[in-house]
Amino acid sequence: MAFASVRSSTLLGVQGKGVDVEIHVGMGLPGFTIVGQPDEACRESRDRVRAALLSCDLPWPNRRITVNLATAVHERKGGAGLDVAIAIGLLIVQEILPHEVAERYAFIAELGLDGTLRPVAGVVPLVAAIDDRIVVVANECEREAQIAARNKVVCAQTLAHLVQCLLGESAWTPAPIRTMIDVALPSIDMKDVRGQTAARHALEIAAAGAHHLLFVGPPGAGKSMLAQRISGILPALTDAEAVATTIVHSAAQIGLPATGIVRLPPFRAPHHSTSLVAMVGGGAITMRPGEISLATNGVLFLDELGEFAPTVLDALRQPLEDGVVRLARAKSSVTMPAKFLLLAATNPCPCGEGMPGVCVCDDSAKKRYLRRFSGPLLDRFDLRVAVSRPHVDELLADTPAESSAAVALRVSQVREMGMLRSGCLNSDLSPDLLDEFAPLTTAAAALLRYHLERGRLSGRGYHRIRRVARTIADLQSARDHNIDHSFDLVDEAHVATALALRVGVHPQLSGDRL
Amino acid sequence: MNNESLLAAALSAVPRLSTRRLGAMLDVQSPSKAMEMLGREAPNIHDIEAMRQKLEDGEMSVTYVGALDYPALLRDDVARPSVLFYRGDLDVLQQRRVGIVGTRSATAAGRYMASHLAYDLSEQGVAIVSGLARGIDAWGHKGVLLALDRDNKTVSARDSHCGQPIAVVASGLDVTYPKENADLWKFVAEKGLLVAESPPGTRPEAFRFPLRNRILAALCEVLVVIESHAKGGSMITVEEAQRRDITVMAVPGSPRSLSSAGTNLLLQQGCAPVVDATDVLVALGLDNRRNHPQVFDSRRTPSVQDQTLLSHMQGEAVTLDQLLMRTSTDLVQTALALGRLEAEGWVVNNAGWWEVLGRSR
Repeated sequence: MAFASVRSSTLLGVQGKGVDVEIHVGMGLPGFTIVGQPDEACRESRDRVRAALLSCDLPWPNRRITVNLATAVHERKGGAGLDVAIAIGLLIVQEILPHEVAERYAFIAELGLDGTLRPVAGVVPLVAAIDDRIVVVANECEREAQIAARNKVVCAQTLAHLVQCLLGESAWTPAPIRTMIDVALPSIDMKDVRGQTAARHALEIAAAGAHHLLFVGPPGAGKSMLAQRISGILPALTDAEAVATTIVHSAAQIGLPATGIVRLPPFRAPHHSTSLVAMVGGGAITMRPGEISLATNGVLFLDELGEFAPTVLDALRQPLEDGVVRLARAKSSVTMPAKFLLLAATNPCPCGEGMPGVCVCDDSAKKRYLRRFSGPLLDRFDLRVAVSRPHVDELLADTPAESSAAVALRVSQVREMGMLRSGCLNSDLSPDLLDEFAPLTTAAAALLRYHLERGRLSGRGYHRIRRVARTIADLQSARDHNIDHSFDLVDEAHVATALALRVGVHPQLSGDRL
Repeated sequence: MNNESLLAAALSAVPRLSTRRLGAMLDVQSPSKAMEMLGREAPNIHDIEAMRQKLEDGEMSVTYVGALDYPALLRDDVARPSVLFYRGDLDVLQQRRVGIVGTRSATAAGRYMASHLAYDLSEQGVAIVSGLARGIDAWGHKGVLLALDRDNKTVSARDSHCGQPIAVVASGLDVTYPKENADLWKFVAEKGLLVAESPPGTRPEAFRFPLRNRILAALCEVLVVIESHAKGGSMITVEEAQRRDITVMAVPGSPRSLSSAGTNLLLQQGCAPVVDATDVLVALGLDNRRNHPQVFDSRRTPSVQDQTLLSHMQGEAVTLDQLLMRTSTDLVQTALALGRLEAEGWVVNNAGWWEVLGRSR
């Protein structure tokens, strides 16, 4: 029979999809055609496969070859990961390999011209898409492939080696010894930050409740320094989070840590020239994940927020609310995770100083500068903190500030408290859950009413303040080692602190007694 | 409008006729004579008709040096404008007049001072002269607006004794600049006097602002500078005022605040300080104590504890960080106190920086 069907998978967004690579070799002029909407890399596999077979002294059928990429849904298939499946199919048709091979194995690797198996992007989701076969991957991918595999994963070095293994004439490449030690914790520590009491508090609150945070301040105030230290106070990812994040990183071909799985929350800091597609994802036929997806379960840090293109910033609004990004193109649509903590830093005005009395920008110049951030985006920051340059005495102080380890302990306690109480982090509390888990004292309610009546809080802002106040109350319990009272009320002091850490960014024009 | 005024307006709009040459002509003869002298350069009948149309559309009036209604205040001025366009009522110039000027990049405290000083002075029947620029200028007139508003609610418009707004602008009266002050612009034209030397349609070119400042200075009896950088438009107005022997007063500010550098410099040079409206009223020779109640602060006196916090915030804007550093209290207590003070109107958060409004008593 001149037909074979071999299982492999292709990538769309961060999801692998099983593909049956059907090969037919028949009468006609010698030729090679791939059908089933392949992309450019896929179509080039003809030349790679032919060269690899010949390099390994395996025969190439000089007849009419047709390859069909069959999936449940008709859509474009991308990537070079189908090479080996095509080569194996050709060998089955030529009866060098038995038909049973296709029923027991699936193949995910690219071929080099010399016949070596090469790694491909997105091995984790690609392997996860195959459920009933042993998966063959390139050597370098073995660790990654194990993470989401539902079956055994084996690896081979070259096509010739692979054929021998499939025929039982040779042993599979043994799995390399696995490193269990994760990369060292980031060496930057909160104790290096001098002064900045309020900003440190804000960072701690942001980490504890996963609240979005904006630093506003003059250049040299230490905004970026503070922001980078959030990695050190966030707890390690849970197993489910780690797998989800690893899948995205694998799909985007980001270097994975030595253990093969992302355990530390990712910290992504894209430059402000980042394009819309690079930020939210898309681009190629395979829909590469963008920075917001790469920051999943971690932190997206946007330094110099005002320099980002407004379209890029406004594209963040929907993912910030939903925790996923849904991209639709003419030929495909994908949903990718985008649950991140947004951390941003900006100058307050064109001259950068911002401090009234020192700043030389007039009202209209300030307004024009602030027009770069849309109101809805600013409203999504739970915490907005003005950072000033630290005082000389603080800079030269001998006593180091609290270390990251001490802060991280409280952060993890508060996160645990939230998960036990409501099953989610404080920033995810829905309005009805807020009434249940963050009840307000009378004084606290009165304070919020005052700000709502003055139009200083939007409806969304009101809920955000309440969530932040919940985290502040939790942090206080953690500080007082009073973790039992996890249902206690949110009182006026907590709400006042939340309000003080969420200042208006726009210049306040009046102080109206009149 | 009489024919001579219209001709004067048309003459001022002739592009090749400099203000100096126009001034020299109108000083000694009537506009119609000047037209004859100019011959071919003179505006033709279409130009004059167009000018009449513009003036009517913009509800503008014109006066010139030889006219009977030309303000006496300006007639003897060293650099009097030969033609003056105005909207509103020239009789407003009969009131006592105080100029309120300052920087465009003002602090919230400066804006507060400007609007409150203007409010209090207007209540005492003093007209407020300003330039309708961004920042201090605009907030001065906003204070007048509030005073007139409040007054209208209590007494009928005829009995109103409030001081009215006077504004001198650099562009033509039909070219609102800056745009965001359009409402104030309208308010001044309706309730007071809006003056410009430039003919209708003139763009707000940079060189016109110093020229505008000389007229502004000439119309004041006392000039109060609220906040000013060491150099800038306000300091030009001050120079013009000093040339004319007009009293200049300044509001003291923190020595660390750049936007008070100009006013502090003036105080160093011997200008009288202004802390509240009484200082200005005394300089005008008005005894406000006899007829009017003392200026009243409606804010509740803060507690001793909150006053300590206020004392740490005096003088310059501070961030929450700096405040925590200075007071060495914890974040929660400070946030609570700030919330109380903000609710009472003692402090305001200006884009992240906290400022104190007025004095704590």
